[in-house]
Amino acid sequence: MKITLPFHINKVGAGFPSPATDYVEDDVDLNAHLIKNIPSTFIIRVQGKSMNSVGIHDGDLLVVDKSLNPKNFSTVIANINDELVVKTFIKEKGLSFLTSGSKKIEDKINLTENPEICIWGIVTYTIHAL
Amino acid sequence: MLYSKNKIALVDCNSFYVSCERLFNPSIIKKPVIVLSSNDGCVISRSTEAKALGIRMGEPYFKVKELVKKNNVKTFSSNYALYGDISRRVMRTLKQFSPQMEIYSIDEAFLNLSSIKDEDLLEHGNKIREIVLKWTGIPTSIGIANTKTLSKAANYIAKKEKSGVINFINSKKIDYLLTKIKINDVWGVGKQLTKFYIKNGINTAYELKNIENSWIKKNTNVLGSRTAMELKGIACVFLEPHQEKRRSCCVSRSFGIKVTKLDELNEAITTHCLNAAEKIRLDNQVVKKITVFIRTSPFQKDKNYYANSKDIDLPVSTNDSIELVKHALDALKNIYKKGYRYQKTGIIFSSLKNVDTYNKNLFSKINNNEKRENLMKAIDLTNVKYGRHSLSIAQADFKKKWNIKKQHSSKIDTTCFNFLPIVRTA
Repeated sequence: MKITLPFHINKVGAGFPSPATDYVEDDVDLNAHLIKNIPSTFIIRVQGKSMNSVGIHDGDLLVVDKSLNPKNFSTVIANINDELVVKTFIKEKGLSFLTSGSKKIEDKINLTENPEICIWGIVTYTIHAL
Repeated sequence: MLYSKNKIALVDCNSFYVSCERLFNPSIIKKPVIVLSSNDGCVISRSTEAKALGIRMGEPYFKVKELVKKNNVKTFSSNYALYGDISRRVMRTLKQFSPQMEIYSIDEAFLNLSSIKDEDLLEHGNKIREIVLKWTGIPTSIGIANTKTLSKAANYIAKKEKSGVINFINSKKIDYLLTKIKINDVWGVGKQLTKFYIKNGINTAYELKNIENSWIKKNTNVLGSRTAMELKGIACVFLEPHQEKRRSCCVSRSFGIKVTKLDELNEAITTHCLNAAEKIRLDNQVVKKITVFIRTSPFQKDKNYYANSKDIDLPVSTNDSIELVKHALDALKNIYKKGYRYQKTGIIFSSLKNVDTYNKNLFSKINNNEKRENLMKAIDLTNVKYGRHSLSIAQADFKKKWNIKKQHSSKIDTTCFNFLPIVRTA
């Protein structure tokens, strides 16, 4: 999955060639930008709408890095009840929680009380078609 | 001693195919799981839970079907697109721990750890396991020793004891542990040698280690004495970091349903030939000799058995799909007989050579045809971009009635946008 786009510094025009031409130009490499750690990064498709408020929509592609650890407000993939789901990771008063975009209190899962839940990976980018 | 500097780790993925299936499907963690060979023929990977039920490696699926049903064993068809990608990730992760690495199989690699202090080896091994598990989700076992054969033995013990890492270097337990390894489980000891050793009272790795060199030299071949030396801690088999290119390439499949018509066999052979041609082009190789073979099922009691093959020596080495398919179909026509229900067909390319080393034949139409070369490149590129067989030649069937059975495939492909794993929001 290699995607590259040509990246031109100077505009195309008639006349004297730009002296900047010499400093051009590598293709923009989206892979290099989106994927910091190749062996641990997976592209995963999203299904569902409950994370819309965080900017994750149905059908979006998530760039997920398994090698990272969650920080406060990280978007994460977690294994909850034998299923991989997208959640927001929150730290509060020394405790860790997972929430969905809804902000309802009953959606908050206390990770200390549910040790069987584990974080599968950290979402680093979402790719959303407009 | 000179050889004590040599420190080798064998990293082996635990139930690799099962672990790959579990990566995106947590519901099958801690449950019995098996993966079947292509065509759903035999069991080729088992979870610990499935092993505990008595399902054996290589067992035909129909034999364990009842056991599978009774115990709700999750069953998967092999999904090599997924396993291949996960394997590359594991190997890439391992590579950081030692620039000197030999990829031994899809789920095993030897690492040179000679730069690590003896007393840090165990900790280093645990670190490797931890990182591979976190980055790729794949659990591994590691054996560390002074030789490749001993590292294999250490790994065998690590798997058996589920201890993660076993380090033989400076260990006083080596001899004791080697008594636990049956002679046929020693790396490099095949069926024939096993028979011979058992006949001579050598039943374990420990017993082979203690056999006199002169006896081994007199009674076995070079490979036999190498294995014995390696068990004694003297390195004879070295890491091969640069994989040699293949010397032959075989693509064959069993049919999902029995096939009788020449047309259908033509389609199959064309597809196999294109696959093989793509593989050798990828490695920058050309082929000089092709073999086409067909056979009926040897297990059909009431039917006559028929098997035949045909070699074709090509006038000029080539990797041109169109040229190769033409020859392959000629060969097939030669050996095809009406009235049989064929179960398997395939093609073998042998005498492979590198493109740059083969003698360009100035008078050949094939080699001078730059257009043809560009066409092959275009086909390969298109197929990489849009998926296998997007672009093919007319003979290859796109419906593929005969194609392999894959009733239980997880259909996940981490390298293809159309088959990415899916997560829900909740």
